[in-house]
Amino acid sequence: MTLTAFSPPPPGTDFDDLRQEVRTFLAEELADFPPEKRAKSWNGFSRDFSRKLAQRGWVGMTFPKEYGGHARNALERYVVSEELLAAGAPVISHWIADRQSGPLILAKGTDDQKRRIVPRIAAGELCFCIGMSEPDSGSDLAATRTMATEVDGGFRINGTKVWTTYAHVADYMILFCRTGKSDDRHGGMSQFLVDLKATDNIQITPIIDLGGEHHFNQVVFDDTFLPSDALLGGKGEGWSQVMSELAFERSGPERFLSSFALIEELIRLLRDDATEAQQAEIGRLSAHLMVLRQMSRSVAGMLNEGENPSLQAAIVKDLGALFEQDIPRLARSLVSRPAVPGGSDSYAAVLAYTELAVPSFSLRGGTREILRGIIARGLGLR
Amino acid sequence: MESMIHDMAERLFRDHVTHRLREKAASGHCPEALWTQIEEAGLTMALVPENAGGFGVPPAEALGLLRIAGAHGLPLPLAETLIANAVLATANMALPGGRLTIAEGEALRLERRGKRVHASGHLTLVPFARWANRIVTIAVLDGTDHVLSLPVKVLSFAPAQDLAGMPRDDIKLDHTLAETDAVPLPRPMGGMRRLGALIRSLATAGAMETILEMSIQYANDRVQFGRPIGKFQAIQHNLATMAGETAASRTAAEMAAGSYDTPAFALTVAAAKARAGEAAEKVGALAHQIHGAIGYTQEHTLHHFTKRIWGWRDDFGTELDWTRELGRAALSSPHDTFWHFITDSAAKGAPA
Ligand SMILES: Cc1cc2nc3c(=O)[nH]c(=O)nc-3n(C[C@H](O)[C@H](O)[C@H](O)COP(=O)(O)OP(=O)(O)OC[C@H]3O[C@@H](n4cnc5c(N)ncnc54)[C@H](O)[C@@H]3O)c2cc1C
Repeated sequence: MTLTAFSPPPPGTDFDDLRQEVRTFLAEELADFPPEKRAKSWNGFSRDFSRKLAQRGWVGMTFPKEYGGHARNALERYVVSEELLAAGAPVISHWIADRQSGPLILAKGTDDQKRRIVPRIAAGELCFCIGMSEPDSGSDLAATRTMATEVDGGFRINGTKVWTTYAHVADYMILFCRTGKSDDRHGGMSQFLVDLKATDNIQITPIIDLGGEHHFNQVVFDDTFLPSDALLGGKGEGWSQVMSELAFERSGPERFLSSFALIEELIRLLRDDATEAQQAEIGRLSAHLMVLRQMSRSVAGMLNEGENPSLQAAIVKDLGALFEQDIPRLARSLVSRPAVPGGSDSYAAVLAYTELAVPSFSLRGGTREILRGIIARGLGLR
Repeated sequence: MESMIHDMAERLFRDHVTHRLREKAASGHCPEALWTQIEEAGLTMALVPENAGGFGVPPAEALGLLRIAGAHGLPLPLAETLIANAVLATANMALPGGRLTIAEGEALRLERRGKRVHASGHLTLVPFARWANRIVTIAVLDGTDHVLSLPVKVLSFAPAQDLAGMPRDDIKLDHTLAETDAVPLPRPMGGMRRLGALIRSLATAGAMETILEMSIQYANDRVQFGRPIGKFQAIQHNLATMAGETAASRTAAEMAAGSYDTPAFALTVAAAKARAGEAAEKVGALAHQIHGAIGYTQEHTLHHFTKRIWGWRDDFGTELDWTRELGRAALSSPHDTFWHFITDSAAKGAPA
């Protein structure tokens, strides 16, 4: 059955030397970076860190050299990604651009767009956000209402996007909206490259999450003018373009390592005198992690071959979210220590942060229910 | 993976491993004719190195046969024979042909009696022992792993069976072995427990793929409330969960098979057997839920597969045994961080 077959990552793709270089870099850069900051995982923001990473050649690794990239393969990029996540490095400033916006622009953008934008992504200078969700369009992305109307020299945009992660600091948004009417629910959609710093009539307001953190936002477009060359890819091709981004978005190690700081804290506490029951639970966790990692690397291998493993990616994300969401429960079942937000005990602080973060893991990037629907369709349920 | 021997096995099993054949086997009848075909097709020699009479199939591909056998619920010791032959060949021992089986020998006592070796102790729940010519096991003598090839006809055993009705026999050993039947292994292969865990992980993945296919088929065919039950979202999500568990188990088993005979094997096989056991629980339960009452009958084929995956959890170490072993390795590893342990375990194995 093809859906349950994850071909092993190609041999010789451990890239030990690269891994070692990244570890050395992280040990220096994050020497004083405390566990409670590492707990933010890929939600941590630091332009400075992203720029330094880029100077080492570790942003835009898979991009072609002519666009400032390094022409390395998806499995080398994978090594860097997982090392960053395992260390809890603050990566969000370049993460989305590096993972999906850059590859999208390279695949669908005009020559001018590629030359203007991609080298700056690879330099770690640009932060991207994704404008897909709306107040009345969450899982049902085809219900998008935001409308781009063609006018002289470009488009006028009207509508509201929500949950837009890091829109308040981002340089660009990849906007998904309507450009026309269509009988097909998925027709008449397009994507735009919106320069958030240079465009008037865009209002960005914070939305605070239940942990008190500000990462996502509401973004209102009020007769916003975008020049014609902001259109990204074909007019009316938005739906299929978004679908082909999903395999990149859903299969990476960020789909199972979001609670990793808590795992490290937990193991630090258990290390020296674990009971047999505790050993078994850590063994179970290790087994799951080893397998998820293999599956995720397998998808990276498929992406490298130019395949579109979006179904396999949905499986990785579904299993990955189950895994990372289960970590607080597991920790509580092995160690009796209260969760204290911002507490001075690093275990207590990381536990508190993670407990409040995990509900979002099966929402962002496609909910559990939606992923399972996609998998079921892939199984041939009529 | 394109593979001639996989295609051949697939065809052979598809044509011959029927519901009726599995039923008869479960009631104690060894399918001799099918065995002859399996052996004539060379499948039992697939893991034997070329210089020992094998035909140079890469190990991961040879082991892939066991997933296929699992997918058909093959009621014969192909997996055991494949491993037994590979172990015998590694120790440069004669390959006796016919059905063989394997047993964990860690608890055996070996001592020298002149030029010969005397073995005593118990082998418990040895798969298919009463259908086999020889039991191959690995036990320690003077600190070195020795391969023992035990002729079944001189042994006395107490018959038992696993959940699927396949032979599992207890054997009491107090025998002085022929010189050629106890030979040191030139290099460690990880003990029979690990090799046994590998074959059960692969077979479980295969059987779960069949269970998943049967469940999809049933969901598309069975009509209630005027539509196929596969239209109901609750059923779809259960099938999606089964697919995830099956994919994870297959990936885990293939990761272990890919590291066969390398230092990484000790940990990858622990992960594979633990993951397979956990998945077997969920996949079996969901498959029965989807099939309703008909799936709970002797008449329906489903039970041949669910009973196998449940039974295999107990062969060569349970989930608890393997998670403990893996957890102990993780918690006592000299690595700076748990993460380093995880990346190393897949690539090079745990340090001794
Ligand atoms: C931390 C975080 C960051 C995010 N960042 C971004 C971002 O940067 N850009 C962006 O565009 N969006 C972002 N999102 C939004 C995210 O994509 C949506 O939350 C997600 O698509 C679900 O939409 P919704 O929240 O409107 O829930 P709804 O779609 O309203 O769903 C509510 C519940 O109903 C279920 N449901 C819906 N439809 C079905 C169905 N057909 N069958 C069964 N159940 C169904 C869902 O699974 C869910 O459980 C982010 C979300 C979070 C939590």
